[in-house]
Amino acid sequence: MDLLTQLFTDPFAFWTSHTLLISQIGINSILASSMFVVLYSGQLSLAAPGFMAIGAYTAVLMDLYWHTPLAVDFAAGTALAGLVGAIVGLPVLRLRGVFLAIATIGFIEALSLGVILNLPITGEGLGLKNIDADPVGGVNIVLISLAVVVYLLWRLTKGRLGYAWTAVRQDELAARSQGIDVPRYKLIAFVISALLAGYAGAAESHLYFILDPNEYGVPRTVQVLTFAVLGGSGNVLGPVVGALFLTTFPFIFKQAGDYIGVVSGAVLIAIIVFRPQGIVGRGGFAFVRPRWWPRPQSRAPSTG
Amino acid sequence: MGQQILNAIFIGSIYALFAVGYTLVFGVLDILNLAHSAVFTLGAAVTYTLVVNHGQSFWLACVLGIFVAALMGLVIEYVCLRPLRRRRAPPIAALISTIGLALIIIAAIEQGRPGTLFAWLWVDGANPVTMPPGAFPNPTWHVAGLTLEGSKLAVIPISLALMLVLGYVMRSTQVGRGLRAVAENPRAARLMGIDVDRMIALTLVISSALGGLAGILFGVALGDISPYIGRDSVEVRGLAVIVLGGMGSIPGAVLGGYLLGLIEVLAVVLLGSNVRAGVAFAALFLMLVLRPQGFFGAQLRERI
Amino acid sequence: MLLRLADVQRHFGGVHAVDGVTLEVEKGSIQGLIGPNGAGKTTLVNVITGYVPFQSGKAWLEEDQLTGLPAHRIAGLGVARTFQNIRLFKDLSAVENVIVGMHSRRRDDTIAQLGTLPIFRRDQRSRFNEAHRLMETAGLDPGEVGKRAAGTLPYGDQRRLEIARALALQPRLLILDEPAAGMNPSEKQGIRDLIERLNKDGLTILLIDHDMQLVMGVCNRVAVLNFGRKIADGTPEEVSTDAAVIKAYLGTGSEREASSAPGATGVEAVAAEKAQAKGSSRPAAEPADSILDVHELSVSYGSVNAVRAASLRVAAGEVVALIGANGAGKTTILSALSGLIRPTSGTAVFDGLDLTTAKASAIVRHGLVHVPEGREILGRQTVLENLELATWARRDRAAAVTQIAAVMKRFPILGERRHLRAGTLSGGEAQMLAIARGLLAKPRLLLLDEPSLGLAPQMVDEVFAAIQEIHGDGTTILLVEQNALRALAIADRAYVLETGRILLTGSGDDLLHNPAVRRAYLGG
Repeated sequence: MDLLTQLFTDPFAFWTSHTLLISQIGINSILASSMFVVLYSGQLSLAAPGFMAIGAYTAVLMDLYWHTPLAVDFAAGTALAGLVGAIVGLPVLRLRGVFLAIATIGFIEALSLGVILNLPITGEGLGLKNIDADPVGGVNIVLISLAVVVYLLWRLTKGRLGYAWTAVRQDELAARSQGIDVPRYKLIAFVISALLAGYAGAAESHLYFILDPNEYGVPRTVQVLTFAVLGGSGNVLGPVVGALFLTTFPFIFKQAGDYIGVVSGAVLIAIIVFRPQGIVGRGGFAFVRPRWWPRPQSRAPSTG
Repeated sequence: MGQQILNAIFIGSIYALFAVGYTLVFGVLDILNLAHSAVFTLGAAVTYTLVVNHGQSFWLACVLGIFVAALMGLVIEYVCLRPLRRRRAPPIAALISTIGLALIIIAAIEQGRPGTLFAWLWVDGANPVTMPPGAFPNPTWHVAGLTLEGSKLAVIPISLALMLVLGYVMRSTQVGRGLRAVAENPRAARLMGIDVDRMIALTLVISSALGGLAGILFGVALGDISPYIGRDSVEVRGLAVIVLGGMGSIPGAVLGGYLLGLIEVLAVVLLGSNVRAGVAFAALFLMLVLRPQGFFGAQLRERI
Repeated sequence: MLLRLADVQRHFGGVHAVDGVTLEVEKGSIQGLIGPNGAGKTTLVNVITGYVPFQSGKAWLEEDQLTGLPAHRIAGLGVARTFQNIRLFKDLSAVENVIVGMHSRRRDDTIAQLGTLPIFRRDQRSRFNEAHRLMETAGLDPGEVGKRAAGTLPYGDQRRLEIARALALQPRLLILDEPAAGMNPSEKQGIRDLIERLNKDGLTILLIDHDMQLVMGVCNRVAVLNFGRKIADGTPEEVSTDAAVIKAYLGTGSEREASSAPGATGVEAVAAEKAQAKGSSRPAAEPADSILDVHELSVSYGSVNAVRAASLRVAAGEVVALIGANGAGKTTILSALSGLIRPTSGTAVFDGLDLTTAKASAIVRHGLVHVPEGREILGRQTVLENLELATWARRDRAAAVTQIAAVMKRFPILGERRHLRAGTLSGGEAQMLAIARGLLAKPRLLLLDEPSLGLAPQMVDEVFAAIQEIHGDGTTILLVEQNALRALAIADRAYVLETGRILLTGSGDDLLHNPAVRRAYLGG
């Protein structure tokens, strides 16, 4: 609990002593937001770490070879991730549900195991050294971008685009009858998601001196999916809350010590079982009532 | 080359055995049981611990390992799946709850060291271990330049026999018909007096027993038992296998298992060992894009 | 002409769902489209709206070609539709549903969204106002239902909301697919008023419905489909006297549609026939001791009360019919009895077993077997496997095996096809299989849900013959049927349901001649 105590008693010390943690929360929140966009449009895409890798490697390589300014590195990484997103998205988006999930897993594994580990320029299994990394100063960039991302997504979900995504998620057939071009809106969501993941990758690479190719595999995608689903994928804030909760979890539950994995697994199950729609979601914060919980008297059948 | 093909058949048998259980659950429940690879690991870990730390005979340990895995199948059903089914939660919730359970199992093994809570389960922490030589008979022959290890050779008939038995049960017995009925139309199954919940529990027991056995065979024959064998060796490859064969199809999973074994070996021979994994996932990706129903799966149809 | 169809064709496998239909819909008119079950009406709508591709033929909306366009483009051109089984965005609020409908004529505001908030708010307010107006047009109170999730609205409101959502497209043509299905007479009248009001405001409507009174009363012209072909097209008067139409309706053996087809005198004819066939009168009173006793049973789906305090009894050896219009709650009662859904209140006891708490599998083992609507045979398994599975709950394996053989003799077609996948059976054969499966579970009480739905006339006869034969063997039967006249003809007693309530009960004969039955059933 010392993390929380410190946060409230001495926020400045907290800030300086946990800068990297705060940055990581920010990165994870952006990633979770990237997952949010695809889930919001009804697609179970697990490609985020792949786009993240593209963003990260592009940014670091640009810096290493051409010494371009940071903004250019980030922009290039993000743009390339978006481009690959469009190319990958076109063929896979007609897949549904778990098939899309598996196809995107195929994509990230093929990318990280097949491409990154075999290209000399990526440093193969050793990764890259990023001498210009800024673990402390990076936090500002990360938090500002997170705020911008959340704001933009919030605005997008409230407009025509957001309504179209919701319609596609809820019922594709009915969405078509309302004049919504389903494949188009799915692709838009997929590309936005790729852009965000690419950006998160570039931003993350700026925080660490080593770019580790093993960071972009299936465990990462599982983690990001968990952020989004546990937080609640019906609301922009849900994934951010999920990322915040799960990233700080090991610190909050320090007493669990070595058993943190066991505890977090149990908490994960408990939350999803009692609250399948996620922590933040429609229906307020109410948990699903267990069977043994006393239920209110049911209303008499109305006569209307 | 001959040795390589032998290896392909050996590893293919493991993949097939693992994937048969995976695909069985998907076929009946339309849910990916992401705890399946953890059960694979658990089977191997329990068997090893019983032999090495508790001094049991190898054969008894194998039987108990399978038993514990089957028991874990019940845990998956009662803890992760049934509560969500009762609440009509979206399938993605089951994905998260099985991830949670996998996390618990792996973390428990990982944390098992002398003196910890889980010392009874595992004492080697994250280290890979090998079944001590002499714990099980392992005659080795050299024939025509090939090295034939008894333990590896045995895997092939064991897997084939089990898959044939499972195929027979599914095709020609009342229980198999019942399982297929639940898979096709749970409502109709209930109307025929089939206890759907019990059939689902049975599905998970069978699936997990096969998964645990696959883990034991893998760990014993390859001499590699660690908390990570499930994650590193079969988790994602299992997905590839069931997609290649067609989701939910048992013969498809068998064929897919051997096919993936062959693809990987060919990739090593033709392209070098570095790209081995990448090629498999590129194949998976292409398969989903070109023929999402796999070799044996039913045509995917959209309901209007 | 607003909509022109030229020789539209659509086959599914060997089935000619739509077989060369040519149709013109005049601007500003209400065009009806009727036909027996399975005539291809919904398929035709799906082809026009781009959900099912054309095989051949062409379609124009005024000067715009519709042929080959994807569904969203057709919607964008101004063809709005509703769905036979309501497809709202269930988790969105009612207002949001209508706003989604404005998609195709709404400017892309993505960039504006990101920047300036106040402008958006004004847009949003005007959209909300428009959505409210549209809901009022469709007869909904936006203040009351606007913020509720669409999936929680009462059934009738969901239908109206779907219409409001369709209106949000500002369509040139509105296609209504069975808008009055499952509604009670007053709700139907409301839908009728709504259709007339929309038409008066200049909207062209293509109306598909089973309710002849609605279609004949409201349409300027009516086209009749049968087996995918157009067999008549004209004013309601012309169509109702058309020999081919009457033949199509009577020929299907579906007296419900025959009796409601104008010019046909189904009810009286059948009643007379039956009076001749059976002289004996039957007990009309509820039996004192019963094998099934249902008391004040209520079932609700979310906020929809599908069954409201229904009480009924069935004595051993009886055939009891449960009749009522679509959506009256018949299937819901059966599902509650067989343990598929749980009632919200009330009791149901079958031979000492409390059906409201027992597991579905225990209910079957106790001898209450439900043959569901739509047959629900297992299409991927063979006929024989279906039959063998049906004996699941039995302990007497040997007897079960001989009974399977006996059943295959009784329904020879099943014996012949025992090694084929059940999915390849025709509708009638599948129904036979479903009934045979019910029998093999050794029922003491057999619940039959819509056994004749969608069957060809001679198959209907066969199914009813089989039901009588089963009853002859001493099985008690609770029968749910749309084909009320056929059901009443074989029933000892019957209950009439209307919007979830038991309206009246009596002997089959009494109810046959009861005008209230026709009202409840035909919604007159």
